[in-house]
Amino acid sequence: MSIHEELDTAVKLTVYRHFAESGTSPALEAVASEVEAEPGVVRSAFARLRAARVLFLEGDGDTIRMAPPFSAVETQHFVESGGVIYFANCAWDALGIPAALRQEATVRSRCEQTREPLRLAVGLDGPGVSDWLFHCLVPAAHWWDDLVFT
Amino acid sequence: MLFFRSEEAIHGWCEERDHPVRPIVTMEQLWGLARTWYSTRLQVESRRPAPDEMVGIFAGLGLEGAFWDPAADSFAGGE
Repeated sequence: MSIHEELDTAVKLTVYRHFAESGTSPALEAVASEVEAEPGVVRSAFARLRAARVLFLEGDGDTIRMAPPFSAVETQHFVESGGVIYFANCAWDALGIPAALRQEATVRSRCEQTREPLRLAVGLDGPGVSDWLFHCLVPAAHWWDDLVFT
Repeated sequence: MLFFRSEEAIHGWCEERDHPVRPIVTMEQLWGLARTWYSTRLQVESRRPAPDEMVGIFAGLGLEGAFWDPAADSFAGGE
């Protein structure tokens, strides 16, 4: 494993574990402190992780908007698990959070057309039987063209 | 990527916005996607599936066709 790969793995795990523990994104400086690296070095790691589609950054290159399935900003997709509240980037990621945590969770969202609330219990083996549906407007080839829209 | 209560709701939402109706995914299929993409995300060895792996993953969940192909050019215009 190269020096870059080791650093990128450490940065990625620090970011994801922070999200998992708190439901919030860590500041770049906090990640730098955790991995014992200079902020500029971590900023470069953020850029490589963005290129690898592991992180999605705000325009400043420092602020994490998404570490899929986790969202740093509030959305209509809430997940409660282990006493922590998380926001998911989309419906897919709403189920992705309990999958990543490997914990039972409750997903709360809504039907985008009728606004009917969704409350879905998700166990270690997934949600129970549900006739709710998922719809994705953007084809797979273009998911990262505009990830916020996707 | 949104939740809907029914196929009727999906069709209504798309029609009101002049969007095409795309393949409809069940909750069981969605859990398969979520688990495949994210179950190792907090682990050292985690990685996002590569584009050439995605087609097989989607097909294994019954999601086939150009819409689910990350390399497809039939959707070159996107949205």
